[in-house]
Amino acid sequence: MREFEYVRAGEVGQAVAMVTADPETSYLAGGTTQLDLMKDGVLAPDRLVDITRLPLGGVTRDGDVLRVGALASMEELAADPTVAERLPFLREALLMGASPQLRNMATIGGNLLQRTRCRYFRDPAVSACNKRRRGTGCAAVQEVARMHAILGASEHCIALHPSDMAVALVALDAVVHLLGAGGSRSVPIREFYLLPGDTPDVENVLRHGELITAVEVPLLPPGARSTYLKVRDRASYEFALTSAAVALRIDGGVIGEARVAMGGVGTVPWRATTTEQMLEGSPPSPEVFAAAAELAITDPYVVPGTAFKVELAKRTVARALRTAATQGGPR
Amino acid sequence: MTTVEQRTGLVGQGVDRVDGPLKVTGAARYPNDFSYPDLAYAALVRSTVAAGRISRLDTAAALASPGVLAVITHQNAPRLERAPDSGLTAPPPPLQDDRITFHGQYVAVVVADSAEEATAAARRVEAEYEPAEPILDMGDPRAEWITDPWGTDSSRGDLKGALASAEVRFEATYTTAANSNSPMGLFSTVAVWDGDDLTIHDSTQWPSYLRKAIAQVFSLPEGNVRVLCPYVGGAFGAGLRAWPHIMLAALAARTVGRPVKLVLTRPEMFTGVGHRTASEQCVKLGATRDGRLVALAHESTTPLQIEGTQFEPCTAGSASAYACPNVITRDRQVRLNIPWCNFMRAPGEAQGNFALESAMDELAYELGMDPLELRLRNYSEDNPRLELPWSSKSLRECYEVGAERFGWSRRSPEPGSMRDGDSLIGYGVAGVSFFWYQEPCEARATLRKDGTAVVRSAVTDIGTGTYTVMTQLSAECLGLDMAHVTFELGDSDLPAGAAAGGSGLTAAVGSAVQAACRNLVRAFLDTVRDDPTSPLQGCTIDEVSVGGGRIHRIDAPESGEAYADILAAHGIGELSADGSSTPNDPKVAGMAPSGAFAARFVEVRVDPDLGLMQVARVVSVVDAGRILNEKTATSQIMGGTVGGIGMAMLEEIVTDPGTGRVANATFGDYLIPVNADIPDMEVAFVGRPDRFNSVGVKGVGEIGLVGIGAAIANAVHHATGRRVRSLPITIEQLF
Amino acid sequence: MRVTVTVNGEERIADDVWEGESLLYVLRERLGLPGAKNACEQGECGSCTVYLDGVPVCACLVAAGQAESRTVVTVEGLASDEGLHPVQQAFVECGAVQCGFCTPGLIVQTHALLAASEGVPSDLEIREALAGNLCRCTGYEKILDAVRQAAGRADG
Repeated sequence: MREFEYVRAGEVGQAVAMVTADPETSYLAGGTTQLDLMKDGVLAPDRLVDITRLPLGGVTRDGDVLRVGALASMEELAADPTVAERLPFLREALLMGASPQLRNMATIGGNLLQRTRCRYFRDPAVSACNKRRRGTGCAAVQEVARMHAILGASEHCIALHPSDMAVALVALDAVVHLLGAGGSRSVPIREFYLLPGDTPDVENVLRHGELITAVEVPLLPPGARSTYLKVRDRASYEFALTSAAVALRIDGGVIGEARVAMGGVGTVPWRATTTEQMLEGSPPSPEVFAAAAELAITDPYVVPGTAFKVELAKRTVARALRTAATQGGPR
Repeated sequence: MTTVEQRTGLVGQGVDRVDGPLKVTGAARYPNDFSYPDLAYAALVRSTVAAGRISRLDTAAALASPGVLAVITHQNAPRLERAPDSGLTAPPPPLQDDRITFHGQYVAVVVADSAEEATAAARRVEAEYEPAEPILDMGDPRAEWITDPWGTDSSRGDLKGALASAEVRFEATYTTAANSNSPMGLFSTVAVWDGDDLTIHDSTQWPSYLRKAIAQVFSLPEGNVRVLCPYVGGAFGAGLRAWPHIMLAALAARTVGRPVKLVLTRPEMFTGVGHRTASEQCVKLGATRDGRLVALAHESTTPLQIEGTQFEPCTAGSASAYACPNVITRDRQVRLNIPWCNFMRAPGEAQGNFALESAMDELAYELGMDPLELRLRNYSEDNPRLELPWSSKSLRECYEVGAERFGWSRRSPEPGSMRDGDSLIGYGVAGVSFFWYQEPCEARATLRKDGTAVVRSAVTDIGTGTYTVMTQLSAECLGLDMAHVTFELGDSDLPAGAAAGGSGLTAAVGSAVQAACRNLVRAFLDTVRDDPTSPLQGCTIDEVSVGGGRIHRIDAPESGEAYADILAAHGIGELSADGSSTPNDPKVAGMAPSGAFAARFVEVRVDPDLGLMQVARVVSVVDAGRILNEKTATSQIMGGTVGGIGMAMLEEIVTDPGTGRVANATFGDYLIPVNADIPDMEVAFVGRPDRFNSVGVKGVGEIGLVGIGAAIANAVHHATGRRVRSLPITIEQLF
Repeated sequence: MRVTVTVNGEERIADDVWEGESLLYVLRERLGLPGAKNACEQGECGSCTVYLDGVPVCACLVAAGQAESRTVVTVEGLASDEGLHPVQQAFVECGAVQCGFCTPGLIVQTHALLAASEGVPSDLEIREALAGNLCRCTGYEKILDAVRQAAGRADG
């Protein structure tokens, strides 16, 4: 990687000020994406501000909301008893999201900002990448795509958002807390991510220097049924071809509330709202699940290598709904 | 002196790996673990086009980068010679001109005080190219074809006539993807010059050849070069060539006048140390209604680097796998602008077996016959190509024992007829007849005055267990405890060693070790020949045996003398003897040399809704002749099996059709199996010591990988009714 | 920059460390501890697994500066004067070692798994815990045997 200056931040305000002041300065947290991409030569900041010793960790429960510090590790969140009890599918998504070593390192804030695995984005030897450099084109559309998005994609970019955790958080309507030089703000996670359009280099609403400080996650109602299903080539330690985060509240033989989000298909973690609408008020039957899953993918943008995901994603949602309804109960 | 086969001793026992404690404590030194005072580091710059010429190379920014000592390109590199043939033509020496023949070819090497500085500077080398249209597809009309590249094509009988008149005919085309060796150890070279003497630490599988190659490239006397590789982090064939990066490390060290370490990056491992070629194969079978093969044609086409060489006979094995009177096998290669194709665990066999054993399964369905029965009905008792008896063959026993252990009889023949909940269950079988290969090898055995022995040969242990099994064999041959024997390898200054390749090393080095030990016992007998105080006085080698650190008379075991006592009595510090082995000649021996045989039984579970497949069980029964160490041999088969699962389900080098760039050159993108992917595995060995070499072994290094692809594909068909004729079998093909 | 880190119980100082160096590089190239291996440098293989403040991490993705004043235990720090740690012993006895390059990472990760497990881990737990440690030689089966044995399982 290129030479850079390393600074260890002493307190939060100082870190925000340092990064805000210089467009070539970036935060360093768990490092599993930042350092990886610097090694690849995709990122080359002049300065890294190490925030790992700032007091932004911890997982605390406040009523029906879980407040997760941005520097809490994936492993820490997965091990939290409230998560196991009230957000079991989030736990599954975390555990399926990375190896234990990486879960120990990667932070929740960092995971939200995880960059795509698109192999054209990650290799600077490839010149055409609108995400790396706006206006250069998209090699993935031309060459061999597979681990790529079919929703929110276009000829400008088909890079997939790789996070599993974020899929569950999108299903849960988590709220992301940000701190910038001008103060703090809160953004619902579905508004946090931006569709690529013709500016795929802009992935979220963060302004330069703004820092994720925490994520608030509403707990599922007691008795909710949930599951995270990840379809992948390997049995473990592999990104999703398709995935589904599903939570259902079933009252008296009718689905009272449905939360359905998909991974492996979108340029951002994808909420399947039409599917949810059809489910709510319907009985939890395999037929209903299959019909609702059919609605999960609309207007996909496919290239030859990703066409299979249209059907696979629907089946993934249908299976996840069935699993949640039958096995995803409280434990 | 009795032969080893007649004794029951150390050999065969599953003793623990002698190098185990060093490896579990992190103390085993791999090539990139070596450090020297004033060590400098090299990083490589690779081409970003697949064909053409370098039009501009600007190294100013790299040279000005912190810590940089030198930047070497074709513009300033000295003239280097081409390495000698290793049986195959060697890769051309690097940085000799501006021509580019594949994406990822080295165009510069940067040397700096630290590895990070070298890497940072390497990114600052500006290269521009005058690109040519690369040839990347076997269908490209510009591509050069080579027919019968190695003279291995075969023909017997009247194939055309037999096919035309066959009661049942079957024909299909099969493809396999390119695979990456991807050993865990990044290939590394540490080069240290001392005047005109050069020491090289390297990840090679063949130090005796690499020394020769380096000496020739740098125009040095061979004796000036020493190659060290006591531990290698896997290789699977990738270490059988004298790769350009090795020469670049030596060149860099000579240029900066300091020791230099060059560690390939993981992406460079995909372009710099070879890969298993993709293949396209056509199999035609003709049979009688009752399942006797009357015609077998197997044709294969594999890609080849545009200036490269590779031995990859996909069809040769089909000429002797089954008793069939009318056979044609043909291999062809097509030159492309791709990285070098090279040996990877079971070259040719891995691909060829998939096609043949899939086709046999398909034929069995055409005939309405049990696939296992079809194989037994066409069993070749003698080698049908050489028309000689096999030196050993217990494949029938492999099938029988395997079927029993696996529970093959529980299989209901109809595809899709076995289920467990959401999962479809499939059983598949494949037979394997692995090729035979052996090289000449030398060894030296030395007994020291404390009664301990050291046995040496310039071979390698790339994880295979050579240290351990040769320690066992040496101890057995000399009648010593294992604790009193050290086996040294991985140093080109030792007696010339065979390559760790072609599953032939154990026979080669084992035979040489046996000979050396026998000659050493002879040397002791010579020492006491005229010694009236020795109970061994006047004994010939055939009148004695060894045990307990001593030589004794067979007719009077109490009459003997310890090695240490003989040395002391004669005032000798140590006594050494050399031994060598050369491969037998089939015509002289009157038998066809056998490689190992195996039967592979696989159970898969397929979730047809989501396309998820899991290999649930694998039973492997292997005839590998005499097993020197049950534990290490079993490990080899299990490791090979998982390599086969990778080939069957995951592994595929993806090349961008537009640019020729390897698109998935990381462990995040090129998937190899993880712990959670592996099935319940059972391995059993059957058979007798092989007659073709004095140790009685047949190699087990590669056969574990072979047959798994076909057995899985056959099981998938049995589970789902879908016949998948291309590897890897991925989710797209199954839901 | 200077990095001070406690490694295997001993305070170690590395000078002239370049900011872009990883903890793995510092251990291997500056502190003479090549036990942790570099097989991918991108957190994708687990060969470089070491303990950092008591939890196993991929040392290749820890910037040198991030290790300042922290505690590291590598594979070299697990055996005692009395001999191999039981995890190491089990790997040797079960034949869980072949080329040995993935072994140091697996030893540390297994050590961590068994230290954290309250009961005896199931096969599924072991497989998931070791999912990030790639091995290309053994086929994993004997690694699993070794973990079972080290965990004191009856089938180990």
